[in-house]
Amino acid sequence: MPPISDIFFYLFAAMTLFCGLMVVANPLSRNPVTSAIFLVLTIVSMSGLFVLLHAFFLAAVQILVYAGAVMVLFLFVIMLLDIKEEERRKFKVISSGIGALAVFGTAAIFLKSIGTTQWKGATPTIEGSTVALGKLLFDKFLLPFEIVSVLLLVAMIGVILLSRKELK
Amino acid sequence: MNSYQLISLEIATVLLGLGILVADLWIAPAKRRMLGFIAAAGVAVIFAASFSPAFPDFGTAFGKMYVFDGLSLFFKRFFLAAAFIVLLLAIDFADRIAVGISEFYSLILFALAGMMFAASSNDFTLMFAALELITITFYVLTSFQRNKLQSLEAGVKYLILGALSTGFTVFGIALVSGIAGTTNFIELSAKLKDVSGDPVFLVGLLLLTTGLGFKIAAFPFHVWAPDVYQGSPAPVTAFLAVGSKAAGIVLLMRVLFVAVPEVAKSWSGLLAFISGATILYGSLCAIPQRSLKRLLGYSSIANAGFLMLGIAAVNKDGATAVLVYLAGYLFAVLAAFTVISIITRNAESDDISVLAGLSKRSPMLAAALTFSMVSLAGIPPLAGFFGKFLLLKSIIKAGSVSGPHFVLLAVAVIAVVISLYYYFGVIRAIFWSKDVSDHSPIPVPSVMAFTLAVCMAGMFLLGVFPGILVDADAEALNSAVGVFARLR
Repeated sequence: MPPISDIFFYLFAAMTLFCGLMVVANPLSRNPVTSAIFLVLTIVSMSGLFVLLHAFFLAAVQILVYAGAVMVLFLFVIMLLDIKEEERRKFKVISSGIGALAVFGTAAIFLKSIGTTQWKGATPTIEGSTVALGKLLFDKFLLPFEIVSVLLLVAMIGVILLSRKELK
Repeated sequence: MNSYQLISLEIATVLLGLGILVADLWIAPAKRRMLGFIAAAGVAVIFAASFSPAFPDFGTAFGKMYVFDGLSLFFKRFFLAAAFIVLLLAIDFADRIAVGISEFYSLILFALAGMMFAASSNDFTLMFAALELITITFYVLTSFQRNKLQSLEAGVKYLILGALSTGFTVFGIALVSGIAGTTNFIELSAKLKDVSGDPVFLVGLLLLTTGLGFKIAAFPFHVWAPDVYQGSPAPVTAFLAVGSKAAGIVLLMRVLFVAVPEVAKSWSGLLAFISGATILYGSLCAIPQRSLKRLLGYSSIANAGFLMLGIAAVNKDGATAVLVYLAGYLFAVLAAFTVISIITRNAESDDISVLAGLSKRSPMLAAALTFSMVSLAGIPPLAGFFGKFLLLKSIIKAGSVSGPHFVLLAVAVIAVVISLYYYFGVIRAIFWSKDVSDHSPIPVPSVMAFTLAVCMAGMFLLGVFPGILVDADAEALNSAVGVFARLR
């Protein structure tokens, strides 16, 4: 009987791969909303992998930011676009060629880096705990952090100004 | 002085912006335009406060992330002066903005705060946050006239290309600080010997320079400039041409001369090429332009090239000349945009033909625009002359060290001659147009008359007494952190 963390690892890894595949190549549906939901599942199972690595903060951020905020944005965009149009779209040779080049290029770099890495002797350390991150943000990087808060205010004002109805 | 006292100028600017935003709630819509006077007065007070003797010659805050030195103080005053005039311009522009005039003022103030932080940044994180504060504010400002198609087009173009340039910048920062193991400019310069041979480090630095090149609209990252300049509201274009460009220049100086001085020296050929190509491109493309704002857009590209000239010289004279040039550029460009803003009030287009008969219709506008063009062309006794003169002198000095700089010198001189042609095209349109269709005098609001008077006085004073500014700038660089004092 393998340790329970290993079982979870294989479970989450398989789910990540399967759902990731379903996002781009779902045989049953070409509906973008289905793809988006599978992307949520991919992200959730990836955050499970982060939990297994003891990177709890990263796991939480993964769900909060990606599965929460970014996906809502995706769904909004999909709703605004014409879905029927997307379903009818044919594959283009050039764009799929470029896509394949990107995928295989990335895969080649990834495999090469796996091949050249020294695996033995590396002691696992846990970095980036929530406490350490919070201390960095409010101590060393306080000034940029505060400037970003002004920046977010500006972005908020901008969105409201540019999207509101014309007042008569 | 503690950290918070050192950044008090920036804090005051942000608070002023927030104050305007909140004050909007209690003020009747008809009177909101007047908030601009409060904003401008506040900026003037902050400008005066920057001369307070309580500020040290040199100080760092927030763990050496923020640096207060002569260079940063010069640029802070520069940005404050620019924002003051831009705010006055915005008051006059207010009736052409359908809604949100208070927000317009406060966004200008937030962009100003970003520029002031940029002038003091000594760390990639602070630099990036400040740069984004400037850029994102300008995304909103460029598209502020929502009902005008041109303004929306300008906003979208600036958004897409700005986001792209941000991508370059942040990727460059990631590579540079990843290899060097630090984000601080001073720490990086201490480690430079170990990392400057690393190709990944150099690629990162190149990407970073590309990102900053977008900000100052240097060739080949200039494509956005003419369209955005043409479409944006006139006060925004003015602030973009002066403030945003100067912020890019000061960051370029900080990164190249403080963080990686040795690399900057070995890159002087590359910098000279960018400078020469930018000058030539901007000058040649300005010739056929009919739209005044577009003409100034290309002229601003050429000016970015001239500013790069001082950086490519990689000597202290060059750095001093950049500051002198910017001071002259500030008044000339703001005067030009003030005039354009008034003239285009009634006319829909900003075609050069609207200038016909301007010398009769409004002698003051004609005089201001003429002085501005003469100063931009670099003719004595106006401010633009000494900037160009010092820049060319610094290049000659650099040329005595490395030959290729003489090619750059030749290019710059040719471009000055070309620029005489298109700047004088504007002057010819003012005084010697044949077909004058409209003879009605143009009323100049008293605020605008004041703005023009300030700009003209600035152009004259800096042109007649350049010594004060040159000495002050050399002093500013001496007290600056990094290698300015060591550069010869």
